[in-house]
Amino acid sequence: MATEAATQPRIRPEWIDFLVAQLIALAGAFAFAALIGAVIVIAYGEDPLFVYRTVWAFGTSRPQDFAIVLENATPLIYSGLAVAVAFKAGLFNIGVEGQYIVGMAAAAAAALTLSGLPTVLLLPLVIVAAMTGAMLWAAVPAVLKVKTGAHEVVTTIMMNGIAVSLVAWLILHPLRSDVTTTDLRTEDFPASALVPNLATSLGIEDVIPDSIVHLTWLFPIALVVCVTVWFMMFRTRLGYEVRAVGSSPGSAEAGGVSIGGTQIKIFLISGALAGLVGLNHILGDTGYLGSNYETGLGFSGIAVAFLGRNHPAGIPLAAILFGMLLRGQDGLAILTELPIEILIILQGILILSVVVAYELVSRALARRRQAQLGQAAS
Amino acid sequence: MPLIDLGAAIALGLRYFTIIYLTGLGGLFSERSGIVNIGLEGMMVVGTVMGAWGTIAYGPVAGLVTGAAAGLLFSLVHALATVTFKVDHIVSGVVINVVAIGLARFLSQLFFGQATQSDPGIPDFATINIPLLSSLPLGLGQAFKGMSPVVLVAFLMTMPALFVLNRTRFGLRLRSAGENPEAASSLGVRIWPLRYAGVAISGALAGLAGAFLAIEINGLFREGQTQGLGFIALAALILGNWQPLRLMAGALLFGIAQAIPLRLQDAPVISLLPEEFIRMIPYVITIIAIAGFVGRVQPPAAAGRAYEGAAT
Repeated sequence: MATEAATQPRIRPEWIDFLVAQLIALAGAFAFAALIGAVIVIAYGEDPLFVYRTVWAFGTSRPQDFAIVLENATPLIYSGLAVAVAFKAGLFNIGVEGQYIVGMAAAAAAALTLSGLPTVLLLPLVIVAAMTGAMLWAAVPAVLKVKTGAHEVVTTIMMNGIAVSLVAWLILHPLRSDVTTTDLRTEDFPASALVPNLATSLGIEDVIPDSIVHLTWLFPIALVVCVTVWFMMFRTRLGYEVRAVGSSPGSAEAGGVSIGGTQIKIFLISGALAGLVGLNHILGDTGYLGSNYETGLGFSGIAVAFLGRNHPAGIPLAAILFGMLLRGQDGLAILTELPIEILIILQGILILSVVVAYELVSRALARRRQAQLGQAAS
Repeated sequence: MPLIDLGAAIALGLRYFTIIYLTGLGGLFSERSGIVNIGLEGMMVVGTVMGAWGTIAYGPVAGLVTGAAAGLLFSLVHALATVTFKVDHIVSGVVINVVAIGLARFLSQLFFGQATQSDPGIPDFATINIPLLSSLPLGLGQAFKGMSPVVLVAFLMTMPALFVLNRTRFGLRLRSAGENPEAASSLGVRIWPLRYAGVAISGALAGLAGAFLAIEINGLFREGQTQGLGFIALAALILGNWQPLRLMAGALLFGIAQAIPLRLQDAPVISLLPEEFIRMIPYVITIIAIAGFVGRVQPPAAAGRAYEGAAT
């Protein structure tokens, strides 16, 4: 029977079918979202093609425009990865939001208390502090999930609420600057704690002015982290166990994998990745932690992860697309009468249609393979 | 501690109870039909913005209706994704919540001319005093004075909810769809309309609760005002073992907890904490309750599972 199946020319390698199916799903979802977006734009009496061209032009026409897109994408890559690694084990880390906020506070505390150290020591320590803080924040829902069965969606959302209050207190009391009285913020971090600007390091700050664009080394590092996560998920024992627990917990346990142990490990890794989300904001842009810090990056990460198919190759692409839509809002504000929120709606429709399209295509694929195997076997 | 503070805390707690209980009841219908609904928060968010709009345009009663209608319409997206397209329920619910934030900004821009809030001071309901209870001594009567009539409606909703679930053909079939859709289907019950109905009820009630939040607690639409209340409703539902009366008890607990940072900040022990830590109390109580109870409850057997049978 096996030899018969092998001679059947109609069975292609599984991964080609898989890739083609993913691309079809993606193209369909994009077309659908663009169509709905066009209807909304027409309802506002504007030209949809002009709107899409404007968004594209604002993200790509000059090097500095694309650098802004990449700057926008940087935190989203980290938060997308954080969501994705947990999702691979069947866990939903909706708490990236709270974890990165705690991570920023931990980074600020490290940068301010260890300010005497040189960059080679201080910067890594600050980054490790951010990852550790966020990881500890993720540890609570992870342990509760494994020990008591409390669903991580509910507990991580609650931890987000607690994180906001905790960090508000930290900024108001132990970390508060004595110098500035009007703003609620920490002292400026020492220069040795800041992440160098990419354009400055490469000597191209006349093309990409570092006063406007805060594209730092955290972007190339994000790509390295993507590769690392890919290696961990697909080439290590832990990654194998994570995927086994995610796709079939029963078989994983029968095969000797500890479900709880694996879930805790991957949730801690997810938390550590979440710790990197806020770093470009405080170490690459502001240079301090203020009470008006950037929010919502964790929730955008969920959208990025789903759009990027929870895969370390798809996530940076999805993050760059989101970075481009964010940049495109400036274009719409300047050149059209449209509310910029239209692009947020467009993002939402895109995510919804992507999720549905993937589901439809993967079900169709499964049905067809089953039919083919049935044919081959008969 | 002056008991008048406690009375005031209970009064506000009852308003938060209304939100958590109504949303939880909605979630109960959705989950007992077999559809896990993590998107309650997002449906509530849509209810806040549309409820504020309806109130400004036509008064608070209309506001509750527009909020509920908007929640219902938005929930159909979740139904379409999970019932018709069989997307994972939690994936769809998470996406619903992410989309709701953007949708609320868009609608707010459209109706209020700014993305993150409406003008404050939108019209609200005339309050009522509960006879006898409002004359309780030691300031406790405060809890039942100046009550929103919607709070009473929320309590009274228990009866129709129990009746529909346990005494009507629709309710029994809805529950069969959530416990064993294959068996129900073999007896000629069509699963998908029941599940659509369960999700639609959850959307309408979550939207209603969102409108109530905007009208009767905050007096405006403001981005982020739901503050996880939809998830707290989900927690109350788990605590309540998917049954209306126990859900009510859970919602009362979480509702009063919500009022602690706002009305009991000067109470003994609590006042020793910094203000920011007092604000954590409702979240901490929710986590402890969930972690302590979850092992002892039993969700509907087929909740979260797609029904693979014919979609006719």
